[in-house]
Amino acid sequence: MKDRIPIRIANKRAYIWDVDDLMKIRSEHHMCGLLVGTLPHLSQQNVFLGIPSQLMPEEAALLVEKELAIFIDDTNAYPEPSLSQFKKWNDQQRQYIKHQQTILESDNIKPPEVAQRAMSEEAIRKRKERELKRQQKAQELKKLEEQARDASEQSVFVPAVDDAVSPSSRPDTPSISAPASYNISITAPSSSLDWYSPDSVSFSTIEAAKEAGIWDFPSDLHDRARYGVFKDLWEQGFFMGGGIRFGGDYLVYPGDPLRYHSHFCATVIESPTHAINPMEIVAHGRLGTATKKTHLFCGWHDQKKKVSYLSIEWAGFG
Amino acid sequence: MDDNLQQPNAEPKIRLGDEVDEEEQLSGDEDEGPDWTKLIPNAARPIIPKRGDKEFEPSKHGGSGLQQHILNRSRNAMFEALRATRTISNKSVSYGTWHPSLSRVSVTISRGSAMNSIGHAVPREIAMPNGIIKTQKRLELLPEEAIYLIERGSLICWKESTITEYPNDGTFEDVSGSPMTVQQAYTEMIGREDLTMDRYQVYTYLKRLGYTVTRSKPPSVFYPVAAPYPPSISTQLSSTSFMKRLASLFSSWISKLFSPIFSHVFDWWRPLKISPWLRREKNYNFIFRSLRLIPSGHKVPIYLPPDTNSPPSPYEPFFNLYKPPTPFKKSAPPPPDYQIVVVNARTTPMPSLRELTAIYDNAPELPPPQPRIRNPPQIQGLSYKKSSNATSENPSSNLSQPQTRTRNPDAPPEPDGKTSKSSSWTLAGSIPWSSWLSTKSSQPPNNKAERKPNPFAVLRQGKKTAIIATVDAGTINIFRFAQGAFETGPWF
Repeated sequence: MKDRIPIRIANKRAYIWDVDDLMKIRSEHHMCGLLVGTLPHLSQQNVFLGIPSQLMPEEAALLVEKELAIFIDDTNAYPEPSLSQFKKWNDQQRQYIKHQQTILESDNIKPPEVAQRAMSEEAIRKRKERELKRQQKAQELKKLEEQARDASEQSVFVPAVDDAVSPSSRPDTPSISAPASYNISITAPSSSLDWYSPDSVSFSTIEAAKEAGIWDFPSDLHDRARYGVFKDLWEQGFFMGGGIRFGGDYLVYPGDPLRYHSHFCATVIESPTHAINPMEIVAHGRLGTATKKTHLFCGWHDQKKKVSYLSIEWAGFG
Repeated sequence: MDDNLQQPNAEPKIRLGDEVDEEEQLSGDEDEGPDWTKLIPNAARPIIPKRGDKEFEPSKHGGSGLQQHILNRSRNAMFEALRATRTISNKSVSYGTWHPSLSRVSVTISRGSAMNSIGHAVPREIAMPNGIIKTQKRLELLPEEAIYLIERGSLICWKESTITEYPNDGTFEDVSGSPMTVQQAYTEMIGREDLTMDRYQVYTYLKRLGYTVTRSKPPSVFYPVAAPYPPSISTQLSSTSFMKRLASLFSSWISKLFSPIFSHVFDWWRPLKISPWLRREKNYNFIFRSLRLIPSGHKVPIYLPPDTNSPPSPYEPFFNLYKPPTPFKKSAPPPPDYQIVVVNARTTPMPSLRELTAIYDNAPELPPPQPRIRNPPQIQGLSYKKSSNATSENPSSNLSQPQTRTRNPDAPPEPDGKTSKSSSWTLAGSIPWSSWLSTKSSQPPNNKAERKPNPFAVLRQGKKTAIIATVDAGTINIFRFAQGAFETGPWF
């Protein structure tokens, strides 16, 4: 139970929030999930995304069924922190800031000749000029800001920013003791919080999670067929990804999708006697060939719990 | 089969150059994952690298040593990037408080340009320090806006507490509850105020691209409503020229005069009413039009079945989109550039004709796409672009005219139509189509730009458009449906 990977459930979706868990799922259980979060320092692009990783319902259900993971009802895992817990957290943050400042100060100690140069008369004069200019600019900026504030007809109550931050109140002579800028970190996974308590709301089976009302996959024949096909292919060692971009249900990869192209685009068919429109065969065959993939029809037999496969390829005679 | 084909290429090409041949881009655009090894996580100015190459398959027993090595390098780069901490300078961070009872985050300290297009003002009763309760406007964020800002690392969010008062010892500028992690924000804020994970993903996807995104349906009375679309072109532009109008007036008057016996009753068995004197009535267009017995086109209302208790359609616009250059005012948003519907790919079927028609009915009519400007032969070393710039300096030319002519001649016609749409909006402000209208009516007829748009391009673009984002377990695909007007083309 302890070494199982926690899958956080919120709004019936499954997420992985810890990078270590993600590594484990990827390298040991050959499952990928899909990164859906914004990378903190690359927040204006969609090519590289970050934590959390959203698992397909099939992936999450399979990990729990294989006893590799447990479900955690994340909505009920946040009791209010006690005062001492909050103080401890606050101290940690304070230490983090202090740590940065000590690093910054150790960087600021200059070699002696540089310090001498900094004290020469010309340098002082130049510095004063610069300071004067900066003050003027700041005043202009403030004036403009006030004008803009008057111009906007809506008065939104936002408390004024601390004076220590506004540029005009900066001390006249530059000194080392000026309020230093430091970084504040915002934590992503909740597992670092002291008061986060997932143990009382964890479920080790799909049935238990369904009973608690936090999970509902697989619920009907269509879900069962999808799950059956997914499981069968995964058990053969394939990596699986979502296939909606190629007109199928899954993409089937021979190795990690980071390095290898997918070979198949799989469509789930709910029963072995399900009728297929000939137009679908043509469309899938054509699309598969155009994207250098083979289309795979996966027929699920709900009574026998077995999958039969049929692959379609463009023959290209003539 | 050749054995060599089965073996993967032992020496993978790792291309760092910027040349990616077109064929590769076409074939593997979606399938090719990003190459995390080219992403340097802690660099001062991170550069987004090109997508990497992939191999066909691993060799037996989980891949050769080299394959394993490259895979591990890729994985490590990826996890290294994912581990990067979310930090922000204390001088640019904003603070907010999450009120679960209101489903809103109130902003206590607002900094940075991110807030320019996010959030709305709501009057709330606030207890002042001296104990008096006062109604004051404050900046509030919808759940998706708050999560996005937290995730970007621009907002520190506290969860409102009713029991415990947390002390502020000066580490943070503002403490108004227990600290929230990104995970907690995802867990607690999604599911509130009609926000689903699918919708949130589409929201962040568009925000990361730089769009301004607001709700189509205001979630509360204080939420600013986007200005309505101006009346469509077809109603304004009833007839094109004065002479034509005069002629039609006369002919109708004449026909009334000469054929009072059968004009007021439409005779199904004699749809053609040709008078021996009027020339106009003897051309093909008139005859075909008279023979069209069944009304056609999108103006004709579609049949609605009488059953009333059908479930609400999932195909309702959820987000309003504004392109980055569109001037956007938070308190009075202009008509949106696009409206977007978000559906779940696994549970929602294709939209029905009725659902699509409902979207089209609220959508603005698109201006016809600009005709493609072909490069004329270059004469005397003078390039086309230069000459067109020279003509555009002519003061008598219309305001939007230089735009059409100085446009890149190689640009494809369809996106052209879209860009021209937005630019005319920014120019004309409240009446976006007016500039297009005025060019059409007040154009001197000698110009190349007067050339009519290609009817097939018009048909392809459609008169109205519906944009639908489908989300399947995290994968977003955005589709465009268009209402093509076959009945108005020159083929009739």
